Amino acid sequence: MEYKLNRDIHSLLDPRTKLLLLFTSSIFVIGTAGEKWMSVFYWILVFLPVVLLFVEKEWKAGLISIAIYIGSFFAQRALQHDLTMIESVFALMLFILTKILPTVILARYIVMTTKVSEFLTAMNKLHVTDKLTIPISVIFRFFPTVAEEYKSITDAMRMRGIEMGAKKAGEAIEYRMVPLIASCSLIGEELSAAAMTRGLDVGKKRSCIWKIKFGLFDWFIIIFCFACFIWWGIGRFFV
Amino acid sequence: MEKSNRLNAKDLINVGIYTAICAVICCAVAMTGVIPIMMVLLVVFVPILTGIPYMLFLTKVKKFGMILILNVLMGILMWVTGMSFYALAVGTVSGLIAELIYRSGNYQSKWRGILAYAISGIYCWANYFGIFFNADAYFATRQKFGQDYIDAVTRMLPPWMCPVLLAVDIACGIIGGFIGTKVLKKHFEKAGIA
Repeated sequence: MEYKLNRDIHSLLDPRTKLLLLFTSSIFVIGTAGEKWMSVFYWILVFLPVVLLFVEKEWKAGLISIAIYIGSFFAQRALQHDLTMIESVFALMLFILTKILPTVILARYIVMTTKVSEFLTAMNKLHVTDKLTIPISVIFRFFPTVAEEYKSITDAMRMRGIEMGAKKAGEAIEYRMVPLIASCSLIGEELSAAAMTRGLDVGKKRSCIWKIKFGLFDWFIIIFCFACFIWWGIGRFFV
Repeated sequence: MEKSNRLNAKDLINVGIYTAICAVICCAVAMTGVIPIMMVLLVVFVPILTGIPYMLFLTKVKKFGMILILNVLMGILMWVTGMSFYALAVGTVSGLIAELIYRSGNYQSKWRGILAYAISGIYCWANYFGIFFNADAYFATRQKFGQDYIDAVTRMLPPWMCPVLLAVDIACGIIGGFIGTKVLKKHFEKAGIA
């Protein structure tokens, strides 16, 4: 961590733009609204997250995602004929993967490049109530923690010989869930104490060290997102 | 700390934590939906498994709005992960009802808590709306799963299953809530977490 007085936001996009992009992507890529009519926008939405990864110099993640895209493209070409049962399960997984992957990349990009304070300030500027933004920021902070805790608990249980088998399924679930929830709840207590010391409870307007405002690229993305919706509306209601 | 009815940061952080735990469990269970029969059984497993964190969450609820916020957030998460916006709409309404039920017991009654959990859990059922009310559009996006999958799912979900699933969901919610209270008593009360 370097301490210099640079108040410019450290990633390319404003948090609000990122959320708009995530929203658009979840509707048009996962929800596949518009189907063929939207295909140009669809492909832009699929590749934009990868471009963003490269902009943030995440070379490895970017290259891996491109590799997955290419691989799944050829795999889907290979699975065009009538499917057997096993093939259709495989096609299903592939389908889910290719649908969800762009949005997952985008979500990961957002989580990695947005500081919690930036997020809260941006949401505050949008006049979203604290009652939603604080839990949301906790959720985003918490997903990795839950995964990490779960991994170490599974290791511990394996050491005790409690496997996730068909026998004693109830026990296996209980012995995983209870420690997981207990430790998460303790971490939560610490988190609330930390939030208390930062004055989240004071009720005054909070200041933020980062300058949150829209830049040139933000406007590009915003115009693109609105274009998606307008083009979809034209296709839906006028054609 | 002074007693007030406004939600403070501690409450909101608690909501966030338990939403995250519930969402992770939901997500892990929902992954099994690729197998047709599991797709239907989701309505059984999700309420039973999320019962434990939810009942612990209810012990932390002392103010109006926490259950509602949890449900709205679950709905938003479902929407963003591409299930449907029905979950958000149904979740909001059911969250409000659950909130009122639990509040009528002054946020302490065990049975009202279980009932509140069962009611609030019906956002899980709402995810099937796409199949019942808008089947063509739903399967159009899943054409690639193969015709076998579509046949299997439609065969298991004729229109009359809609109310049945709701009943199953609520029943499993009550079972899940009951298991949750048992686990709570066995583990968490001793440890001083609940």
